[in-house]
Parts: sequence; C-alpha cells; structure tokens
Amino acid sequence: MSARDDFARALLDPDQPCPAGLVAWNGSDPARRFQVYRNNVLVALVDALADGFMVTRELVGDAFFRAMAAAHARAHPPRSPVLACYGADFPGFIARFPPAAGLPYLADVARLEYLRVVACHAADVAPVSQAALAARLADEAGLPALGLGLQPSLAVLSSRFAVVSLWAAHHGVGDLAAVLPEAAETALVLRPGLEVEVIGIPPASGVFIAALQSGRPLGQAADEAMALGVGFDLAATLGLLLQKSAVTALHPSGSIS
Amino acid sequence: MSAITTKSISAASLALAVGAALSLAAAPAAAQDRMADKEKCFGVALKGKNDCKAGAGTTCAGTSKVDYQGNAWSLVPKGSCEKTASPSSPTGHGQLAEFKEKKV
Amino acid sequence: MPKPVHPASPARGAAAPGPACLPPRCGLGLKPEHFRAILETQPEIGFFEIHAENYMVEGGPLHHYLTQIRSHYPLSLHGVGLSIGGDGELDAVHLDRLAALIERYAPDSFSEHLAWSSHGGVFLDDLLPLPYDRYSLIRVCAHIDQVQTRLGRRMLLENPATYVEFAASTFSEAEFLGEVVVRTGCGLLLDVSNAYVSCVNHGRDPWAFIEALPLAAVGQVHLAGFACDTDAAGDSLLIDTHGAPVSQAVWALYRRLLGRVGPMPTLIERDNDIPPLPVLLAEARCAQGMLQELAP
Repeated sequence: MSARDDFARALLDPDQPCPAGLVAWNGSDPARRFQVYRNNVLVALVDALADGFMVTRELVGDAFFRAMAAAHARAHPPRSPVLACYGADFPGFIARFPPAAGLPYLADVARLEYLRVVACHAADVAPVSQAALAARLADEAGLPALGLGLQPSLAVLSSRFAVVSLWAAHHGVGDLAAVLPEAAETALVLRPGLEVEVIGIPPASGVFIAALQSGRPLGQAADEAMALGVGFDLAATLGLLLQKSAVTALHPSGSIS
Repeated sequence: MSAITTKSISAASLALAVGAALSLAAAPAAAQDRMADKEKCFGVALKGKNDCKAGAGTTCAGTSKVDYQGNAWSLVPKGSCEKTASPSSPTGHGQLAEFKEKKV
Repeated sequence: MPKPVHPASPARGAAAPGPACLPPRCGLGLKPEHFRAILETQPEIGFFEIHAENYMVEGGPLHHYLTQIRSHYPLSLHGVGLSIGGDGELDAVHLDRLAALIERYAPDSFSEHLAWSSHGGVFLDDLLPLPYDRYSLIRVCAHIDQVQTRLGRRMLLENPATYVEFAASTFSEAEFLGEVVVRTGCGLLLDVSNAYVSCVNHGRDPWAFIEALPLAAVGQVHLAGFACDTDAAGDSLLIDTHGAPVSQAVWALYRRLLGRVGPMPTLIERDNDIPPLPVLLAEARCAQGMLQELAP
C-alpha cells in the first residue's frame, strides 16, 4: 500500500486517518490542513451533481441533497476527469437510498434531469429536410420499412410518476401543489438547437419514438405503439419529431447502421 | 394485406400520417396542440464542472459523513417535496425519512 | 535518471514557445455565464482561457459559443485533469481527448498543473500535492515529455497552491520546478496567487520563493483570490478558492514580478462566486495598467 493510496483513500473516507508523512512548517497537526483537501474534493463533486440535478435538489432541499450527493460521491466517485456528464448512476443511487424512500418519484425526476445533461452535450447533427421525407411519399410501399435516424440528444423517459409536471412546476409552469406525483407521464428530451427541451408526450408516442431509436422501421414502430391500445396519433408524433429537428436520417431499407 | 385483419399498419395509412405530419411540422402551433400536452424549454445551466474552485474552509463537508443508520444528528428536509400531494402519506404530502449525519 | 529530451528553454522571447503564443496582455477565464455578454459587447481583452475538461463533450452550446468567441480572441487552454503528478501512467485516452481539443481550437497556449487528481482509476477533482523528491521528479518529467511529444508542442506547468508539505521532500518547490523546466524544456505558468498562498501556508517569504523559480521560463501569469482560514496552531492558512478579487499583497508581488520578467500574458481567474463580466473586466484593466507601465 503506497503513501499515495493512503492519501487518496483518506480523501473520500473521513474514517481513515490523515495520511502519514505530512508536515507543517510550524509543527501544527497536519490533519487540520489535510481537511482542506477532503473538503475541496467533496465540495467539488457535490457541486458537480448539484448543477445537473437542480429540481431534485429543490425537491429535497439543499441540506438533504448535499448529504445524499456526498454519500453518492463517496460510493461512486467519477472514473473520468471529464465531469460534464458525472452522475449517470446518481438516479439509481437515489432509488436505493433509504432516507429518500418516502419520495418514490425522486429517482425518476433525477433520471429526467440526467437525460437533460446528456442532451445538452450530445453531438450536433443536422436534421433531414422535410422535402427529403416528402420525397419518400412517392414510394408508398416502402414506407413501412423506412428507418428514421434520430438526434443523438434525444431520449424518452417513461415514468410511473408525473416527472414532466414535477419538473415543469419547478420552472414556473403549473402549480406544484396541484401535481399528482403518482400519475404516469412520458417525457421526450431533446435539443433541437442550443436549448434542451422536455416535452410531455402520450405513452404510445413514447413507445413509437423509443422503437425508432432502437432501429426499428416506421411500420413496426407504429405497430408497437398501437399495440398499447391507448390511442396513438402517428401524425402528431411524427409532426413533433419533424418540428423539433429530431429526424437526422432516412434509411429506405430500414437498416440503421 | 389488410389493416382490418392484421395488426400491421398499412402503407397507405403510413403515407397519410407522414403527409399529415409534414403539414403539422410546417405549422408548429398545430403540432403542439394536437400533442395536447405541456411543453417547455429552458436552458440547462451551463456551468463548467471542471473548474479550479475550492471549498472555502477546512471543515464541514469533507469530514461529515452520511450515516443513515447512525444517530448523531437529524437532517430535516425542507424541500419543495413538502408541497407535493401524496395521498398515501399520513400528512397528505411527500415525506422524507430523517437521516443522520455524524461529524468525525 | 532520464536524459532531457528538450534543451532548457532560453530566455523569454528567444525561444519558439510552440505553435503560437499569447499576447503579453491581460486575459480572463471564459465562463458560460458570460458567453452572450462577450459576443454582444466584444470587450477589449487580451485573451480568454478555458479549462480543457469542460469542453471535452461532443457538441451543444459550449462548443457553439467557444467557436464564436475563439474567432475573435486568442485562446489559452488550461488542463485540470491530466494528473501530471500522478503515481501511475498518464491516462492515454484523456491525452487523446486533449489532443483533439487542441486540434479543434488551435489554442495559443496549453498549460497544466504540478499536481495529481486521479489515482487508481478514480478522479478526485482537486489539484493534490506531491512530495518533491527524486521519484516524483522522474515521474513528472516523464509525464511532461509524454504530453509534449503527443501534443507536438511545449506546455507550461503551473506552480500549485498547497496546504501540506511532505517529510519526504528533498527539493524545495522552486528547485523542483527548476529541475523540471531544465529536463523537459517546458515553460512555467507562474501563478502569483498560488505562490503567495503556499508561502503563507508554509511560513516562507513569497518574493524569495518567486526569485528562486526559473523565471526565464515563465510563459504566463495567473492571478486569483483566496479565502483565509487558520491551521491547528492558529496560524494563517490561505485557501485558493478563486472566489474573490485579487488581493493587494498579490498585486504587489505581480508588479514586482513584471519589473523582473517584463510584460507577460496574465490571467485573472475566477471560478467561484462569478461576478458580472464588467466586474472582471475592471480587474483585468488593473493588470493591464501594470503591464502598460512597462511598455517603452
């Protein structure tokens, strides 16, 4: 076990002693000075989470959030020096965090927020023109096998909870007190330009978009959405995707590489 | 293949839907209305997460450890969850279990 | 002992410092909070500096704004995650990401820290101290050689702000940095605030420390604010927060340094409690004024 191992371990675990071999010019206890590093590391990681999970933080309050984020940072410190997308496993941690068990929707709100972070930094891909899609209408028989490539920023979150309403209420849209957290909602997250959007969509639309994203062709994706049996507005869903510049490629064979 | 006897959508139905979608996309407000749901966009807070910042002191966060089986001190939630409806909760509102922190 | 792969850097101005070099003016750290204000007002400023890791993402608004701002200003790329002082191998994947970012934005300067931040596959998100001994020297020099070879350019190495020292150290920090500069040919990013913070924290005279550094290799200067705390004996312990204006003591050291090394690209750093752009521009004008006092 090297001195560096001890130093690194003690940073994240306050039960570990201050590493050996540290000195101070005035002979004072170096443990107090070492705490600066402990504090820096933890504050930086908690801040990184706080920036990405703002609604989660508002829901539980700052003190609870920071304690929960610190527990997560210690259990799952980042493996990469790029922190932009740190927190991928934070929603799962929240779901298993006993003190938050009274808020069963909290983990899904965090999932939604993480999808927004990822969408913000996703690759920029130009959308296909509407004219290109219109041209596919000339080959009507080929439409069921047509594959649609979607923006890298796009994600669908199908939740048992009212994640979109909860999220929106924290951004001044709707009254939080009127939201019923236990109403299932489906969120579409995407970044048509520079701004990430969260759009509440019907569950069948979510199934359809997720099927397209998995590479299934138009006909099959529509079939899966209709099979839900809750009503599916294909035109409106496709219209939304087009309007949000979400369709980036057309694959006549249906195969998406 | 007939749309009446199978579960597969017909090419003709798809063509109609794609045509309608193109019209809707050309008229943004209409597409949104038909989705009949809320939509809102906000900028993600663009903060650099890799910065050279530091916590302001030697104490606090670095040495306090969450110990939700322990009993050093309780943390009372003060978040907006207290405003959300929760029919299954005795108070009618969301609740967090108390959890404890201890100072080392 | 590895042989130096590059000769020691000759005096400032005589060496080719890399593909480009920053102007000897004052610059600011580029913060997303200021993207729009910068593009709308196009302030008079020598350069902008970014933390490399913040831009190691595929797309989106960060690259959108940086691309525009880069087209108007010189750019300094400042790494915070390479872990030059790390115990193990450098992260080759991270070095590739860095090379790609340099390829994309062609910065006028690249700098990193005499510190470590990754260990055992975990990123600890702080600039951590290392003992100044032979073992560290060999490792740091090997890492800098690897970086300079991979990037095909000279890098600057920044002196750290530290809160502890190691019983195992056999060099002073200034001696250690001097050895690294001689052995690798890298330049020095002299963070005057770090020098001041470390010297106060370790009971030394800041100007004597600065004079002992390889000043001929200085390629850039950093200035920032700090917070005050105390150690277990009640003595001052300064914390490098980057969350406050530059202190009078640091301004005085900076002015004295300029008298010694001449005009230098100078960065005002603020990463915490970021004020509106005009506040930082006013601080930058302070430094710019001192730089201009030196102009013939």
